[in-house]
Formats: sequence, C-alpha cells, structure tokens
Amino acid sequence: MIAQLWQYVLAGVVVGAIYALVAAGFVLIYQVTGLINFAQGEFAMIGAMTVCALAASGMPAPGAAVLAVIAAAVAGALCYVLAIRPARGANGVTLIFITLGLDVALRGLGLFIWGTNPLSLNPFTGGAAITIFGGALPPQALWVLLTDAIVFGALYVFFRHTHAGTAVRAAVANPPIASTFGIPLRTFAFWSFVAAAAIGGLGGVVVAPITSATYDMGLTFGLAGFVAAVLGGLDSLPGALVGGFALGIVEKLAGGLLSTGWEQGVGFLILVLVLVLRPQGLLGRAARRA
Amino acid sequence: MSAAAASATTTLEVRGVTMRFGGVVAVDDVTFTARTGEVLGVMGPNGAGKTTLFNVISGVQRPTAGSVSLGGVRLTGRSVAHVAALGVTRTFQTPVMFWGLTVRESIEVALAARAFAHTYPPAPWRDLAPAGLGLASTRRTRVAVRERADAILARAGIAAMSERATESLAFGEERLLEMARALAVEPTVLLLDEPLSGLNPDEVGAVIASIRASRASGIAVLLVEHAVGELLAVADRVVVLDHGRKIAEGAPQSVAADPLVIDAYIGDELE
Repeated sequence: MIAQLWQYVLAGVVVGAIYALVAAGFVLIYQVTGLINFAQGEFAMIGAMTVCALAASGMPAPGAAVLAVIAAAVAGALCYVLAIRPARGANGVTLIFITLGLDVALRGLGLFIWGTNPLSLNPFTGGAAITIFGGALPPQALWVLLTDAIVFGALYVFFRHTHAGTAVRAAVANPPIASTFGIPLRTFAFWSFVAAAAIGGLGGVVVAPITSATYDMGLTFGLAGFVAAVLGGLDSLPGALVGGFALGIVEKLAGGLLSTGWEQGVGFLILVLVLVLRPQGLLGRAARRA
Repeated sequence: MSAAAASATTTLEVRGVTMRFGGVVAVDDVTFTARTGEVLGVMGPNGAGKTTLFNVISGVQRPTAGSVSLGGVRLTGRSVAHVAALGVTRTFQTPVMFWGLTVRESIEVALAARAFAHTYPPAPWRDLAPAGLGLASTRRTRVAVRERADAILARAGIAAMSERATESLAFGEERLLEMARALAVEPTVLLLDEPLSGLNPDEVGAVIASIRASRASGIAVLLVEHAVGELLAVADRVVVLDHGRKIAEGAPQSVAADPLVIDAYIGDELE
C-alpha cells in the first residue's frame, strides 16, 4: 500500500513539475499585466507539437527542442502584439475574454497544422527506470525536474539580482509611479508574454516523451497550470512551484486511490476550496494596503 | 538633453493655469515662475488648490486653461511619464513606496531606469526592446549603481536602513526614502507635497537639509507645506494661493506681513 502511494506521489511530482512551469507563466503575466492569460496552456501544446513534428521529420532532438521553444515564444509575442496590446485600456473582463479567444484560436491552429493524431517523441535519454525508495521514475522525469530547477533558478536570479528584474518588481508594486521613473511598463508586458510562452513551450517539450502530444493537450495543462497558480498564489513564483507539485501529487493520489475520473476533477475541487478558504493562495500576499 | 545640462538655464513657467471640476474652480488663473536653484514655497489654507496645482504641473491632471512649460518645452498635454522624463519629479502627501523592494533596491531601480527615462518617448522598437535596464549589465555597472545608491542613502541619512524591506518602514522613514528616491533621478524640478508632515524633529531636520542641498545642486524646488514657519525659513520666494487664486508672491518676510495673506489664513481658521 505504502509502495503504491509512493508511486502515485512520484508520478504526481513529474506531472506537477510541468504544471509548475505553466503556472509560472500565469504568474509572470499576471504580475506584470494584471491579466490572467487563459491561452497559457496552448504554449505548452505548441512546444510539444513542434518538437514532436520536427523530430519526426528527422531533425535531431536538441535542435527540434530549441526551435519548439522559439515557436512558443513567437506565439506569445504575437498574442501580445496582435491581441492584447491593441486592446489596452479595455477592462479586465474584456481582456480575459480575449485570452479565452486566443486559447481557442491557438488550439484551432494546432488542429489545422498537426491534425488530431497524437504525436510521440523518444525520451531525451534512454536507459532503465530509476528507482527511488522502491518507486520507479522514467529517465525523462529527471529532465523534467532539471528543467524546473533551471527555469525557477533563472527566474530567481533575474528578479533578485538584475536591475531589470528589480524594475519589474517596482512596476508590479506600483505601475503609475514606476512609469514616472522611466520604467517601461509596455516593454515588460511584452516580455512577460514572451517569457511565459517560452517557459510553457519548454514544459511542453520536456513532457512530450511522457504524455505524447495532441493538439488539445493545452486545455488540460492550461487548466492545471491555472489551478496550480491560484493554489500557490497568483502573485508568487515560489507559489507556482509549490502549487504545481501539490496539484500534481494530489491528482495522482486521487486518481490512484479513488478513480481515474477524480484525477481531473480534484483540481477543480482544490480551486473552489482555495478561492473560498484562502483566496490569496498558499504563498501569495493578501490584498495589499492601499 | 540631460537634466543636469538643462538646469543651468531652466525655468518652470506656470501660465494662466485654471482647473475647474464641474462648478468648482480649484485653481483660478495662476501664473508664476520657478527658477532652478531656488526653493519656491507654495502656501495657502486647506483647499487653496496647492495639490491640484502640483497635479497639473506633473501631468496628472490637464488644466482647463493655461499651460506649464519647463525651459521653453511645453509640459501640458504630455503624459505623466513624459513630464517626469523631462525632469519633473514629485513626492506625495502620503509617500508612495515600491513594496517588495528593499530600501536600497528602491534607489537602485530609480538609478537604473534613469537612462531610459531621458530618452522618452521611446521609439516604437525600443518599446519592445529590453531597453538598457541592465538586463545585460556587467558586474562592474551593478557595483557602480550600488555604490551610488549607498551614497544617496548616506546623504539622506538613511544608510542604516538600506537592507530593510520597504513594507517595514515607519511613515517618516518612508518620507525620507521617497525624497532620496526622487533626488536619485536628478530632476530639474522637484515638487514636494507636505514633506514635513508626520515627521519627528530629527526627520524634519533631515528633509530640510535635503531641500537645501537640492537647491545648491541647481534643482528648482516647489514646496507645499502646512508648517508655515519651516516653509518661510527655507523658501527663497513664496507664492500664496487662496480659493485657487494667487493672492501674493514675493520674499518670505514680505509675504508673511501681507494683510491679504494674514486675512486668508485667519479666515481659514474661522471657517
């Protein structure tokens, strides 16, 4: 029984690491623009589909992975430039509907380009499953966890140890005053979309060998990433990490112990509980003083 | 044009500024100039229009009539960010902090962003570029910015709190930091809205020293302050507003003796 539970936890860690990456995208865009980008999961889809398609056409995996992340980043840039920026000044609800529209549009684009058949990708490295305290992890799981470590490490260094990162934090704290210091809010908004899309795309690339890739996978990852971000706190990158892993583990436990149907549903249960009991999330700040 | 280069010749001209809110005239045809290297006190009873005047100068509100210009460049009609980039910086009655940053980071970010501010408005492509905010900054430039920030904090007398989170500051400490942050951008014009209110005597001394140092470095300081004694002591010239109109202008002592001014203040107290 214990061994079984442990196996569920390990499986949850792997999927949670991907949720954390998608959640980080939600948090980045939310912090900089105040916007919840419901197209976030589609960047993971674009990353996964692109890397699978390119690898299937004979491109070496590392090159395909890089191009896939770039493709996702370009999609993020286009979303901002073509859809979000022209609507600046619109109210929050309008902007959220725009991102919902982007979500549908990007999924449609995926369907148009790659069709409905799942695409698969070989793991980055071969070898036997890794055993940890009797539980098994596929070798690809290490790549997933390594990606999380690199992405969150890089975000930490950026926000804590560069002037640009400090400027973003100032812009998040008080946009109008930050702009009087010459901090370029729109530049940051643009790059938050690019960074969020690239990180989501990277998540799609590293998860592709585990789940395979379909044009509609963005829906699952987008919703899970959103729940993870709300769970951790929409204004907290460490919260995205914690929320991602927590959601992944709870999902796999629920799926294993109750039924696989619960695996999807438990996320929404968590979402409702968080919004009722702790709306700022696990690590988010409560509404700041005015 | 850098603020330093402009400061030798610049004057802030407020010409015929009127600000109406519906039927209320908050500022009524006010005209004056402020020269760099002087402290211009702006006095008046509550509701005289002082803060509204600051809002008009800094671009927060667009005047119903009249204009503001700095060194011949029209400020009226430009965005707040653009006015700031042209050299007008202000502080607020309630200090505005960048929560989440430390005290030193608050200064560093002002220093790092300055290079960008002075090329306002950004060209369209720069809008999307990382914009020289030190994304690729070398260790040496980071150390240089840090040293400058520490020097600014030392001058403001708040070096001891440089590592503290801005959320942890007391009101007076927030004021001192806001003032230091405003000076970090080397403005041509500094608008101070009641910088002494809520401060203990030590902090009052520190702010007044900062105001004098700003004047000496060639900044035009506009000072709104309810503590009339301190204002008259530090100002070179004074403009007095009452019910939105300018009722007096001149040297502190002559203004203080002006019957109209005394009347306005006594009238206010009787209300």
